[in-house]
Amino acid sequence: MSVSRPSPDSAETPVRVELRPGSGGVSVLAVSGRLDVSTAAEARDVALEHLAGFRGAALEVDASGIERGDVSGLSLIYELAEGRLARGVRAKVTGLRPELAHLLAAFPTEEAFAALEAAPPTGPFLAEIGAATRSMFLDVRAQAMFIGAVVQGFAAALRRPRLMRWREVGVVFEKAGVNALPIVSLISLLMGLVIAFEAAQPLEMFGAQIFIADMIGLVMVREFSPIFTAIILAGRSGAAFAAEIGTMKVNEELDALETMGLDPVRFLVIQRIFAATLLMPVLTAYSMLVGVFGGVLVMLTMGFPLAQIWAQLHGALGVHDVLVGAGKSLVFGAIVSGLGCLRGMQTKEGPNAVGDSTTRAVVAGILMIIVVDAVFAVVTYVLNI
Amino acid sequence: MSATSGVSPAPAVIAVENVTIAYGDNVVQKDVSFEVRRGEVFVILGGSGCGKSSLLKNMIGLYRPVTGRILFDGEDIVTAEGEDRLRLLRKFGVMYQSGALFGSMNVLENVRLPLDEFTDLGAEEKDLVAAAKLNQVGLLPAAARKPSALSGGMQKRAGIARAMALDPGILFLDEPSAGLDPINSAGLDQTIRELSRGLGITFVVVTHELQSIYAIADRCIMLDARTKTMIAEGKPAELRDHATDPYVRQFFLRQAEPAADDGSKGSRTS
Repeated sequence: MSVSRPSPDSAETPVRVELRPGSGGVSVLAVSGRLDVSTAAEARDVALEHLAGFRGAALEVDASGIERGDVSGLSLIYELAEGRLARGVRAKVTGLRPELAHLLAAFPTEEAFAALEAAPPTGPFLAEIGAATRSMFLDVRAQAMFIGAVVQGFAAALRRPRLMRWREVGVVFEKAGVNALPIVSLISLLMGLVIAFEAAQPLEMFGAQIFIADMIGLVMVREFSPIFTAIILAGRSGAAFAAEIGTMKVNEELDALETMGLDPVRFLVIQRIFAATLLMPVLTAYSMLVGVFGGVLVMLTMGFPLAQIWAQLHGALGVHDVLVGAGKSLVFGAIVSGLGCLRGMQTKEGPNAVGDSTTRAVVAGILMIIVVDAVFAVVTYVLNI
Repeated sequence: MSATSGVSPAPAVIAVENVTIAYGDNVVQKDVSFEVRRGEVFVILGGSGCGKSSLLKNMIGLYRPVTGRILFDGEDIVTAEGEDRLRLLRKFGVMYQSGALFGSMNVLENVRLPLDEFTDLGAEEKDLVAAAKLNQVGLLPAAARKPSALSGGMQKRAGIARAMALDPGILFLDEPSAGLDPINSAGLDQTIRELSRGLGITFVVVTHELQSIYAIADRCIMLDARTKTMIAEGKPAELRDHATDPYVRQFFLRQAEPAADDGSKGSRTS
């Protein structure tokens, strides 16, 4: 019985697999033609068809007819020899040309291959919890040490302002501040519009649409402007800080700074934190203006005169509201930029390391913005400001 | 060209014809022509910045030369598109200078990737073939490791194993010895030798490691950054002993550049 199929790449030398009875009850599987990566799969299919009802005691593979072969093709011979295909009967391979025998020898032993496929052992559950907890505490410790190093760096810069690399501060102002204006404008304007529209319907039921002005003012100034500006900062600049410093870490630039006697925190971190912290209140104030402007636009379309809207806003908003919003943004700026730099400095080895640091910087930044905002909400409520 | 080898028993598998490489107005190499014969280890050498790696990237179809043809068994990779180009790309494997292993996969998965994409083999057969490839470069014990957990030499070996995954007839290696210690470097040379002798694979190797060149090269060409041309072609020992171009001799004898303005550096053999 014989089956052969031409391969698309080898019309001239198809692979042939034949099963014939041999002497002494040994069945012979003759493989011939071209047994390579393009014919391996079909050769295997044909061999499996032949061996499906195999009941013999011994099997011999006659490989003398193989004209061309490679490792992919020889995987069939290997599987036959190892008894993987014919009910555990290990075939005896004969007639294999020396160069192909050389290739066949490259296949690992059954034990080595089995060891390869075994799943890596995982530690006991409790040990994993322990390791995770330990890593959490280590992270808190690293953050505390980082805060200490940053404070130390700022103190040194205050004593000797020349130590601060002012050009770098300017660059951060431009990248994180000026370049962020378009997206801050768009998001703030849309937030103002959305709040006004959403508030209009329920307030209309009470004939109290004029209070949209109060809502826009308080919500934008005290909450949304600081939070959204901080989230934009986390996404744009926190991520950028982590990626920049992370890439420097991977390229051993941080090591180079250390060995030159330069403190990476003073050299790279404090400029970024200083600039980001200072520009956040400015960006936030801008966002407040644009957001309120968006709400006012909606109210104007509803027919409220500008003077009435202005008077309402004036009555609802105090300087302390603006100060609360600006104060929050100051803290958000420090946290987001600090976390970005810290994650960058904590970058590990490997190709994914910078990406991981960037993700961690953004996630931790946004999480901390919300947590700190909640703390602010409680404190300002208790202090009645 | 200062020296050429006389006999050419094996047919050419790659023919580079009048290739000029440039980045914008910056010409890197002009009018380079040579042939790579079946089964030989062919080395492209030259000083830093002479365009060795650029030439390699043109040969493997990543960049297009400004002029000229690069023929694989008579088919031009420069103009090939679609299915034709894919078929040409399947003729060779490439090991990049850094290994270029995919960091998110372990070593075995890296080697198995081309098999997954281009063959109909079953999952277990693919694992087997990938394991055999790793065994050929002596890396089977590290199969389950991530590339980041490998040493530089191991990454390059894994890069070779991945390049060989589909059993191509030609392997391109970009600076295989760079950054390796002498023992690892010699081990890699030996692997190249074994694969060349045992499997008849044609190698095109970019390097400037002299010891590697002597250990592996059947023939080589040399590119020069100053004249932006190919200045020598032949067997390494011939070039060392008989090259007329002083730069070629200097390269093979590992002599420092004679200082142009003052004589303080001089000519030094190290």
